[in-house]
Amino acid sequence: MEDLFANLASGLALALSLENLVFLVVGVCVGMLVGLFPGFGPAAGIAILIPMTLGLEPTTGIILLAGIYYGAMYGGTITSILINTPGESATVASTLDGYPMTQAGRAGPALVMQAVASFVGGAVGVVLICAFAPALSSFAASFGPSEYFLIVFLGLLLLATLMGDSLLKGIISALFGFAISTVGVDVISGAQRFTFGSPELIDGIYFVPVAIGLFGIGELLNCIYTGEHKKAAKRISVTIFSRAFWPRAGDFRISRFTFARGSLIGFIAGVLPGSGATIGSILAYSVEKRVARDPGEFGKGDIRGLVAPEAANNAASAGAMVPLISLGIPGSGATAVLLGALLMWGLQPGPMLIVDNPDFVWGLIGSMYLGNLMLVVMSVVAIPLFIKFLDVPYRLVVPVIVTLCIVGTFALHSSMIETWILLATGLLGFGMKRFGYSPAATVLAVVLGGMAENAFLQSLLIGDGSLRIFITRPISLALTAVVAAIFAAAALVRLRALRR
Amino acid sequence: MSRVLLVLVLAFAWIDADADSAYPVRPLTYTVAFGPGGGNDLMSRTVVDIIRQYELYGDQHVRVENRPGGSGAIGYGRVARQAGNAYVITSTSGSFLTTPIVSETSWIYRDFTPIALLALDAMFLVVRTDSPFVSIDQFVARARQSDMKIGGTGATGPDRVVAGLFAESAGIEFTYVPFQNGSGLLTGLTSSSLHALVSNPSEVMGQVAAGNFRVLAYSADSRSTVYPEVPTFVEQGYEVEFAVPRGIVMPAGIPADVRDWWIAVLKKVVATPEWKNYLETRGLSGAVLWGDDFGDYLGRTDSEYRRILNSFGSIH
Repeated sequence: MEDLFANLASGLALALSLENLVFLVVGVCVGMLVGLFPGFGPAAGIAILIPMTLGLEPTTGIILLAGIYYGAMYGGTITSILINTPGESATVASTLDGYPMTQAGRAGPALVMQAVASFVGGAVGVVLICAFAPALSSFAASFGPSEYFLIVFLGLLLLATLMGDSLLKGIISALFGFAISTVGVDVISGAQRFTFGSPELIDGIYFVPVAIGLFGIGELLNCIYTGEHKKAAKRISVTIFSRAFWPRAGDFRISRFTFARGSLIGFIAGVLPGSGATIGSILAYSVEKRVARDPGEFGKGDIRGLVAPEAANNAASAGAMVPLISLGIPGSGATAVLLGALLMWGLQPGPMLIVDNPDFVWGLIGSMYLGNLMLVVMSVVAIPLFIKFLDVPYRLVVPVIVTLCIVGTFALHSSMIETWILLATGLLGFGMKRFGYSPAATVLAVVLGGMAENAFLQSLLIGDGSLRIFITRPISLALTAVVAAIFAAAALVRLRALRR
Repeated sequence: MSRVLLVLVLAFAWIDADADSAYPVRPLTYTVAFGPGGGNDLMSRTVVDIIRQYELYGDQHVRVENRPGGSGAIGYGRVARQAGNAYVITSTSGSFLTTPIVSETSWIYRDFTPIALLALDAMFLVVRTDSPFVSIDQFVARARQSDMKIGGTGATGPDRVVAGLFAESAGIEFTYVPFQNGSGLLTGLTSSSLHALVSNPSEVMGQVAAGNFRVLAYSADSRSTVYPEVPTFVEQGYEVEFAVPRGIVMPAGIPADVRDWWIAVLKKVVATPEWKNYLETRGLSGAVLWGDDFGDYLGRTDSEYRRILNSFGSIH
């Protein structure tokens, strides 16, 4: 334990050197900006800055790049809350209550709370890294295809709680997402499905254009349909000194345990390589809705529905550093790019990294404490600026957002097909909104569907075609038990309702 | 109007005349057919950095563009379409050969001008240290009794070819478990889901150094300079010789003197300490072939791929 504090102190000292501090500031600022642009995720931001880091010390380099990575998590939610457009699959769940808060004129408190929740999640995550990294890395290492399948399956089951008014419409939305996720090369057989000879579809349909279309463009069309653009601009004049800007004491009181639960769930999900932050935010949201006495408030702008996924996705981005550093296994697109950077600097990620380069690892951890602190201060100072955006009359906002969405999507892979997908899903998103379907379920099914299919088929290949593999491995058995318990609980509730 | 046209025509004529006498007179586009951070991207950026550092491309600018998608189909297709353009260049990898075999692309390796093979990326066969397999013979002996699960990245990539060649020469049956990326593959073995995996040395190096994984064999024709302690398949009696060609190609129809210019430049690149450092940190062997020799090598590797993938029924 003493070792831990000594290491941490030396890490903080390293992070506080002038050069490292300057690059940390650059990193978190770039990260936040990158998060703000729909479609332009942290992976792309990091990739662009990698060549810049070649001349730097590896510790300074990773401080810069990691700053972009977790800074983007802060920025990404801002668009989810203000214009209902998640740029990251991990912030889809934040739209569910974040955007209704904006519609109710509470954008200020929503943004402040998300910054606080992000900070709590990030800080708890870093503390947990310090305390449990060695134990956690062996836990992450024991996850094979069968365990992955069960975790993703759990996430899919809990999608049901995100589905708004009608379960049937929610399931239809999710199945539509699955259908989209079958496009592209089948990882197991190598056969192409629904690509129609187009090389741009070989890798499948990427979730980003679908998410921006369903949420962003769909929401715009809906606002125009309901005549939002004809209304005079609402003058919201808030500064950090006005009362309407800050969350009420009640907001904190009601969500005090939400912070803790969200951070913990997010961190554990983040440690598991795979789509950690996304599954973490879904798990946190649905757990919160389950434990709430008044689950009916969720989806209508409940502060807990925003705090839970935000604390979770930031804790997850800290958690994702565990397998990256201790096992050399990246958990997401962005951490995979970070791994490439490590190799470029001549470092070998893996169990020996912390032994051979303690300065590097502890300097990174120290910088994450400071970075999270900077981000929360920066967010609070910048929030009035973001809210100003809502002052702009809607008829002027529409062309700007449409342009941003199209340019952002095209910039991803310079693909015209993805741009058409954006426009098509935009129309679809409008229809889904009008008829009460769930775009969140569709987008998350696009992300999780392919993962579930691959992990399931890999499990069957390994288990000689038998489902026994899901109960013969200890962790799989525990996860199967959880899944079974959820089904049993649902059946029991239904049974009781019938008797009454 | 006609005067403007005349000026334009003259201007183009002048550029053309200049292009004949000197190279390079325009910026270079280095297309990477994969996303940033991967093996191909890393090699391309190393080459570009060396070119910049030693000012090997005159006073002109070199631009790197990532065009990922379709396992290289998009990026390589983009280069192939620019036949005759002497200012676009790209790096080869396993997918440069496998993608046209397994999917419908508008190009194959013959639609490019081969410049140079710079390195060979051969594969490791890896097991867990706590497994009973200390040598490859023990692994084969067990494989004769029970079905072994061997993992690799991709259903039709180089990993599958190495696993297939190994099974063929050892006369064993096995189940190949494809993973979508290197990190999923790695957890397949750390979680004891697989018996063995086939992978790039750089992806498993960390686990090997920590004593968690053991390397049974290397798929190059001779031992690696970076891992001299790892025996090759061939010296242990298994006819497995396979490596991903990391080389450089340009579009078809470029002038012969431009090709020779690039061969001369790349000979300088591979002689730098930076390049040696790259080979070392990535665990590649620095095999080089120039011009048509590289073209012949691509042809041989291509027919080997086709034979193996055909025998699995992977070609649809």
